Amino acid sequence: MDNLTFAGMDGIIILSVFAIIMLVIGYFSGKGDTNLHHSLSGYYLAGRNLGFIALFFTLYATQYSGNTIVGYAPTGYRTGFSWLQSISFMTIIIGIYLLFAPRLYVVSKRRNFVTPTDWLEFRFKSKAVTLLSIFLMLWGLGNYLLEQLVAIGQAVAGMTGGTIPYEIAVVVFVLVMLAYEWMGGMKAVAFTDVMQGIVLMVGIFVFLAGALYLVGGNFAEVTRFIADNEPAKLGVPEMEVSVNWFSMLVLVGLGASIYPHAVQRIYSAESERTLKKSFARMAWMPPITTGLVFVVGIVGIMLFPGLDTAGSEQLVGLMANKIAAINGFYYWMMIIFFGGIVAAIISTADSVLLSFSSMLSNDVYGKFVNPGATEHKKVMVGKIGGIIAIFFLLMIAWNPPGTLYQIFVLKFELLVQVFPAFVLGLYWKRLAAKPVFWGMLIGAIVAGLLTLTGHKTVFGIHGGVIGLTINFVVCTVGSMLVTVSAEKSLKKDEIAVLELEA
Amino acid sequence: MKTKSVKEPIRKKWIWILLFINVVLIVPWYFPKGAVEPFVLGFPLWAFISTFFTLIMGAYLSWLCISQWNIVEEEEENAKRKEDVKHG
Repeated sequence: MDNLTFAGMDGIIILSVFAIIMLVIGYFSGKGDTNLHHSLSGYYLAGRNLGFIALFFTLYATQYSGNTIVGYAPTGYRTGFSWLQSISFMTIIIGIYLLFAPRLYVVSKRRNFVTPTDWLEFRFKSKAVTLLSIFLMLWGLGNYLLEQLVAIGQAVAGMTGGTIPYEIAVVVFVLVMLAYEWMGGMKAVAFTDVMQGIVLMVGIFVFLAGALYLVGGNFAEVTRFIADNEPAKLGVPEMEVSVNWFSMLVLVGLGASIYPHAVQRIYSAESERTLKKSFARMAWMPPITTGLVFVVGIVGIMLFPGLDTAGSEQLVGLMANKIAAINGFYYWMMIIFFGGIVAAIISTADSVLLSFSSMLSNDVYGKFVNPGATEHKKVMVGKIGGIIAIFFLLMIAWNPPGTLYQIFVLKFELLVQVFPAFVLGLYWKRLAAKPVFWGMLIGAIVAGLLTLTGHKTVFGIHGGVIGLTINFVVCTVGSMLVTVSAEKSLKKDEIAVLELEA
Repeated sequence: MKTKSVKEPIRKKWIWILLFINVVLIVPWYFPKGAVEPFVLGFPLWAFISTFFTLIMGAYLSWLCISQWNIVEEEEENAKRKEDVKHG
């Protein structure tokens, strides 16, 4: 977006204001809470006490990143109407939550889980399963974080017309994020999410309004234009696209719902009532988030016809430039909107980083290195480990990969392999540790190999979904054959924890 | 208060059958390849129908969350009320 010259100094002012607001929120959310830094659940789960507003917005701002706009609008531009799938695959996530969140919430409160690994360790009592799942989840989170770091730099450089170079932008915002996260943990993350989520929502609406204004306010005219010029983007998609659509629903639905930071939001809910109310609202968010971004991408086809892949990646910047030129109101709204994109990326990155730190604290350090450490020490290890990880990822981020969407699918491929253990384990007592381990490992290897050898999809089906199918088969068939069933490895009182009518 | 009031989505088959049918209707595999006309509100027919069922899915899931999920809510809300009375 280096041709985005509408902002410059004004962009720097807005970004600075946003950064200061985030720091202030972070400061106040940590202030006076002496317990925060001495307890894992205090720091990483906001004391399991998030109310409806904070929980809803932290779910929203974490799930929808700045990438949702900057990456999805160009995809809509390139693929046309079949990108409607982005609304459905963001919606289905709530359906998948309904498979496991109700019971997991109850079990997590009974056993005081801090990380997703706590659940797997409790259920399978197997070092192999625990270690492999830690590896897969940290890999997925690391990759996701990397993607956010790349995106922050691009958005800021675009917004300020290159006044702030890419590297400086990333470092400044990462420092802001580290500072408020250090001060307030999950509380700071959730409260900043309220601000970041609102800015993102408003920004998308204004952006769409501006885009529609540019095409004369008539969406039907846009489709007429596409029908005349690029009918392939309008027609019923090929069968392979439909298969791919189904595959995306599986991959994103299962993958996004068991993201460690997503699972930790289930643990953080103040009550069942807040949790289900938040999910009920979340089910309505895809149409007014990815749905509106889809429309923006489609409108772009008429505004900027004939862009190639690299050119289309600049679509949001190009459009913002045009919209900002309409009048003073739109000019300032576009600057705020771009600030909102940066805020939305930060709001996703901070949650991912917190989750990453919690797994270093509680899983790697707390389970394997020094189980006897105080909670205060564990929290410190996570905080510092997170900072080291960030700077390691930054070194990779200096050479950002091609299109954003490509990396988005990559991270799911491995992470989603934890799903069978995670969810089947809640309900099926025969599910045993060994088959779970082999299923996860084989699934991850298949998914990884398919992706690395350039077979990201086979007949439209994602490598991750193929790996997952094998994974499911191995762990169910294996559990039926294995003689030592999990029923024996769990004690009576532990089985009772899984029962609801005990 | 115990067994009877517990509502958990996983135990109700109809929830998942309806969700599956809904998903099958969202993906446009059942339209003839390449068809565009007629347009409805600026959307080609297949896209309009697909979007319609996507919205239905959102509404359905939202309703499920509120009305088909109730495990420890009463206990928690009662406990909260007692806390409030104590501190109030």
